[in-house]
Amino acid sequence: MLRARLGLLLIATLAARSAASAQPLRIVGSTTVNPVVVEAAEILRAEKKATIFVDTQGGSSGGIAALGEGRAEIGMISREVEPDDATKFPKVRFQATRIGIDALALVVSRDVWEGGVHVLSRQQVQGIYEGTVTNWKAVGGPDRRIVFFNKEPGRGTWEAFAKWLYGDPKKAPDVSHPEVGANEEGRNKVASTPGSISQLSAAWADQKTVFAVAIRRLDGKVVAPTLATIADGSYPIARPLQVVTDGPPKGLAKEMVDLLLSQRGQALVEKHGYLKTPTGGTSKK
Amino acid sequence: MSFAAERLAAGAERRGRRPDALRLAAFGFSAIAIAAFAGLIAVFAFEAWPFFRAQGLTGLFGVRWSFRSERFGALPMIYGSLAVSLVAVALAAPIGLGAAVFLSEVLPRRARIAAKVGVELLAGIPSVVYGLLGVLLLRDAVARLLRPFDPISGDTLATGGLLLAVMILPTVVSLGDDALAAVPRGQRQAARALGLGRAETILRAVVPAALPGLGSALLLGLGRALGETIAVFLVIGRQDNQWPERLLALEPLARAGQTVTSKLGGSETFLAYGDPTHWGALLALGLLLLAVVAALSFAGSWVSLRKVPRA
Repeated sequence: MLRARLGLLLIATLAARSAASAQPLRIVGSTTVNPVVVEAAEILRAEKKATIFVDTQGGSSGGIAALGEGRAEIGMISREVEPDDATKFPKVRFQATRIGIDALALVVSRDVWEGGVHVLSRQQVQGIYEGTVTNWKAVGGPDRRIVFFNKEPGRGTWEAFAKWLYGDPKKAPDVSHPEVGANEEGRNKVASTPGSISQLSAAWADQKTVFAVAIRRLDGKVVAPTLATIADGSYPIARPLQVVTDGPPKGLAKEMVDLLLSQRGQALVEKHGYLKTPTGGTSKK
Repeated sequence: MSFAAERLAAGAERRGRRPDALRLAAFGFSAIAIAAFAGLIAVFAFEAWPFFRAQGLTGLFGVRWSFRSERFGALPMIYGSLAVSLVAVALAAPIGLGAAVFLSEVLPRRARIAAKVGVELLAGIPSVVYGLLGVLLLRDAVARLLRPFDPISGDTLATGGLLLAVMILPTVVSLGDDALAAVPRGQRQAARALGLGRAETILRAVVPAALPGLGSALLLGLGRALGETIAVFLVIGRQDNQWPERLLALEPLARAGQTVTSKLGGSETFLAYGDPTHWGALLALGLLLLAVVAALSFAGSWVSLRKVPRA
């Protein structure tokens, strides 16, 4: 965040020096999409001398609101555009462009996997997270203590996890687990700790060192996190990373969207631990 | 005018005006350094202010950290910091000071210098490398070692302490060696002349004379241990709210924990930014850490400057 602040300062001075570059591009929204867009903005600033402001005030809904009220040209959201958004801002034609997918896998260590835990329901995961289920035996596994490595709050992965369990990360209860940060760290810790489970970006669940369990959905269907199930939306803990514009993107906004969809932009998406968008493409609402 | 003052005045005259310019430059640069430090503290205090206004100084001294319910008790982290640092010093003191004695008193001059270069090279290794080595070599070993205490993984306070011991060892050895080498040769010769053996000379004459320096070596080692972030971050487990039932028990060392530095190194700062109270609480933690490490550095310098009572 400090870096973002320094960046803002830099932009401010740049803007002051060359007020020539016409209309600045204002981007507001999701903290999950933010790191990708910030880096893309750096590229555009360097290559096109463009003036770009990126802000994360209010998260996804903040991005929608900023776009709706004309305070931004691009909104960043880590969810779909919902009907609610359209009713709130009837004059705006929200056009979402998917730049990537953030899917969350629950990965277990080898001994748990081989002990027979291949599927977990949401209720079981919640029990493990809240500490009411403490032994793998209770969910069909070996008689072993459960070690939960919690993704740090503030990580997009954790937010998606908490959203899946509680509807809203703010409603998540206070728990104290050992915490893991980056995907590498989470994977290594689960791989090296018997009886462990953690949330991990699905792209990192290699099924060799850590094993992604399938989720038993409320309708009874068992879905494993694969590229196909994530892409078609049947895996329950996946969410799109999107940028939203009012109608088709124009001018600098179009350059930004094009960059995000280009190979370079998609490399940034991957760099930040998300899945590249298999289809790309836009959807109108 | 005393002899010393005369000599100083004569020296200044001989060198003309140059010392003044030099002194001015030295003063200027020192002032910059001091101003930077003061500015740092001012910024921290300013940013931490919303937290202190909302919760007061006591807000920091609870046993529960839960930012969603605006509870910022840092005692478990302070406990974690102290625990890993004390474990580190307890392990590094005998080994480090023993090595310093060997380097300074036993090794021939050439070998001493070679060994010292090696030790100081160790001090220059980036801490993240130590951290990765800790992940690679220590975690599993500690998990096996502590099996009777049933740790959930190899990430424990003890692992952090062990890793820090290795990390502060070069500091302790190098500064300890300096302290021993600074003992005048005459004292050794006098001790030998009085009929003391080699070991007795070291233990009875050299080490007591170097005691303040050895103490300061340990204090600076402790300071480094308290301030170390990334290596600890990698092996501590980063589990909040691990307040032990009994403060002096050894058993909590076999559990995962959190230090002030590992908290500040985590991504919670990203979450806190924009929430003045939460952000302020983290900055207050930074202020606390700064104060403790600065106090230890001062103490280290003070101890080494103190006169040794001569027997």
